This record gives sequence, structure tokens and C-alpha cells, in this order.
Amino acid sequence: MVATLGRWANRKTRDYAYALGFMFQVLKETVLFVRRRQVAFKVLVLQILFTGVEALNIVSLIALSIGAVIIVEGGTILPRFGQTSLLYSILIVVITRELGPILTAFIITARSGTAIATELGNMVVSHEIEAYISVGIDPVSYLVVPRVLGVTISVMALTIYFNFFGLFGSFLVSQLIKPVPFVEYFRALLATIQLRDIVSTVVKSFVFGVIISVVATFQGFKVSSSVTEIPRAAIKAVGQGFVLCFLANALITLIYYL
Amino acid sequence: MGDAISLVDVRLTLGDYEALRGINVAFAEGRSTVIMGPSGCGKSTLLKVAAGLIPPDSGKVLLRGQDIFLLSERGIRELRKSNGFVFQDGALWENKTLFENLALPLEVHFPGLSRSDVTKRVARALERVGLEESAGQRPAALSGGERKIASFLRALVAEPTLVFLDEPTLSIDFGMTEKITRMIHELKARGSTIIAVTHDPQLTATLADRLVVVDAGKVLVTGEFDEVKRTKDLRARAILSQVLGEIASYDTDLLELLDRDPQDGQN
Repeated sequence: MVATLGRWANRKTRDYAYALGFMFQVLKETVLFVRRRQVAFKVLVLQILFTGVEALNIVSLIALSIGAVIIVEGGTILPRFGQTSLLYSILIVVITRELGPILTAFIITARSGTAIATELGNMVVSHEIEAYISVGIDPVSYLVVPRVLGVTISVMALTIYFNFFGLFGSFLVSQLIKPVPFVEYFRALLATIQLRDIVSTVVKSFVFGVIISVVATFQGFKVSSSVTEIPRAAIKAVGQGFVLCFLANALITLIYYL
Repeated sequence: MGDAISLVDVRLTLGDYEALRGINVAFAEGRSTVIMGPSGCGKSTLLKVAAGLIPPDSGKVLLRGQDIFLLSERGIRELRKSNGFVFQDGALWENKTLFENLALPLEVHFPGLSRSDVTKRVARALERVGLEESAGQRPAALSGGERKIASFLRALVAEPTLVFLDEPTLSIDFGMTEKITRMIHELKARGSTIIAVTHDPQLTATLADRLVVVDAGKVLVTGEFDEVKRTKDLRARAILSQVLGEIASYDTDLLELLDRDPQDGQN
């Protein structure tokens, strides 16, 4: 019993030490990335294309739907309590501060987190990572850093895009229920939104982007030799990504109200 | 000449398996060393540790006297530029075309090369083995032999002086084996240091200056080819017979098998 506990503690300590070492290496190589003449720049561009550009459709659709639901629910319930003016505050809180960053993070975790973990896991199993090392390419610098930067930039850009489409979607739907002039609608939104709402959404999207990409690359590299480890790595990338994003979201929201 | 690579009491455990158990061996500069042993005895792991691809749990890997795993970033860059590694399964980058697989090492090691120079060098390498038509294809579209030879070209494109070969002629047809064998002999003729793991008796007979016999993660015998093939160590002798695996079918002696005329071997 004691021996089992000891082995478990030993394994956990090694895992955490490895994870910390990995994060330190990623941080170091990210700082050096911009200074070096990088052949990995193409990898960064492709990552932004896959994570950011190719996810535009799905983000637009979800943002429009969420905006529509809020305006329908809010437009129906709030007038009963004489609180119609709260609608804009709810839109800003729900779309800009909360759902925009977290839903975008979920979409990217599901699409890119799994793809990155699977791709890197496959590369480990087929010895492609060793092949990179053999020709003098640091896998963290060439494979991880462009993915971390690409995913983070994409999550930040997509969150802003989500906000825009969410708010625009709610405007479109409001035209069906209770038409409001375009200028009046956006003037009210602008009057409600505060700088710290924008800072909150930007900080959240940055943190989520880092979490998703670091977790996915870490899980991909944790695959050691068998293809059966690859789907497990993908599942862990999603599970840990979601949990850490939720925790980070709660923490940032708490800090917002301090 | 001295030793290009030396391993000093190298130990490595992979999972629960002790892959290398106190390896002490040196690979001489400018010479060809063949590592032989039964399947799963740790030959490929030994080769990867010697190439600095896998760090050992303990012990040292010395490149011309310097610990490979303590080299500066610049030292590592120089090491990789002067080393080439051919993987057993090719290990080509599946998300890149054949051209990109060969161009990337050049872009890394020779950042001053223009795009057209890189293109010319890659084209010349592909033409040499008749793969110029496949330059735009992904590795998945290539045959096993083509993948192997492409891996060989990738390892040699930066013209390294120290080459590691992991089963270079395994699972490929006769034509491809001939091409690869010819390229290995050209490397040897140029004076490159070659460290190869192979089960191929023909390649061993024509390539090896030195032999290292490995069993269960330990070096059993090492030395000049002529000395090792006449070793009195029964276990090493049994392994050589078993690995070469042709004694029974050829009804010949181990010595005869390894004593084949190199010229015969290439025909």
C-alpha cells in the first residue's frame, strides 16, 4: 500500500516536473521565436489558417445564434419587470465578457486542440520528431511555438469576431421582434460597454489560447510509442483544456469584480 | 585517427524495460562500424543514443571527447549539420512533400542559400535516384523502397561526415537495395564515419571495418571486423549466425558468409 502510494507520488512528481519543464521551454522558445530567422514561420501561418480562418463559419453561426437567443429571451422577459434597458447590459455581459471567449475557446479546443494532439502524437509514433532533431530542428521551436502562437492569435481574433457577430446577430433578430434603428441600437451598446469589458474579453481569449495550445501540444508529445495512445492524448487535450479554461474563466471573472 | 563517438557506461530504461545496460563502446573516426544483434536487443536504441537523439539515464555520449548532451546551442547546430541519420522506417515528414522533406535540412543548415540553390540541390539529389518525378508527392504516395531512399537522401543532403544508418536495406526490393548499397559505399569511399545497424550479411561484409555485437542491452564483442568474425565467444558467434540467418540455407560457414568478395556483393 505504502509502496503503491510512493510510486504514484513519484510518478505524479515526475509528470509535474516534466510539464513545468515543457512550459518553461515553450516560454523560452516563444521569446526567441521572433528574434530568430525562422523556417517555422510557414507553420505559424498554416496554423492561423487552420485554427482561425477555417473556424470562421462555425464561430459566425454560433455567435449569431447566441445573440438571437439573448435578444429573444431578454426582449420577452425584461419588459415584464420594466427592465428593458438592462437588455444591453446583459448582451455585453453574456456575449462580450463571458460566452464570447469561453465558447470560442470550446470551439477551438474541439477543432484544433484535438487536431494538434493527434498530429503530434502521430509524429512521435512514426519517429518524425526524432527526424526533426536529427536534422537540427528543435521540435519545441519548430512544432510547438508556431502552434501556441497560431492558436493564441486565432482565439483572440475569433473572440473579437464572435463578439461582433453576437451583437450584430442580436440586432438582426431584434428587427423581427421590435425593430430598433441601427444607429440607436449600437449607440446604446457603446454607451453600455466599458473599457474593462473589452480588457476582460481580450485577457480571457489570450489565456484560453495559451491553455488550449500548450495542453494540446503537451499531450501530443506525451505519446511515447503506441498508436493507441493517440486517441487518449486527444481526449485529454479536450478534457484538460475545457477544465483549465473554466477555471481560468472563473478566476479572471473574480478578479474583474475585485 | 581517434574516436568520433564514444559511449561510456550508458544506461537507459524505456518504460519498465532496461534497453541499455552499461554500454561502453567507441566508434572510430573515418571508419565503418556495423552493430549486430538479435531483434529487440537494443541496437536501434544504441544508435539513437550515440546520435544524441535519445538522452541516456546515466553515462556519457562523447563526440570527439565532448559530451553531446552538454553542447551549447551552436555546438548542437554544428553536430546536426555534420551528422545524418537514416531511420529504420524512413520517418519522413508526412505533412510535407518529398521536395520539402529534402529542402528543410538545407534551409536549416544553410540559411544563406537562395531558394533556387535549394531547389537545384534537391533536384540533383532526386535525379540521382530517379525520384525527380515524385518531388511534389507526399511520402504516403511513395513505395516503401522510395520512402527509404528518400530518407537516405534527406540524411545526406547537407553532406554530413558522420552517418548513422538504422537498417538501411530492410524490407526493400533488390533494385532499391542496390541503389542504397551503392550510395553507402560512395560514402565510405569519401571517408565518412558510418555507424550502421543491419541484419544484411551482404552489406555487413562489404561495409564493416569494425563490428559491435550487442545482446540484451550489452556489448558482447567489439573490434576489427576480422577479429570479431573469428571470435571465440560462443554467444557472440551464435548471435552472428542467428542474425545473419543464412548459414542453414546456404549450407556454408559463418566465415565464408562474411568473407564474401565485396564486388560479388554488389552484383
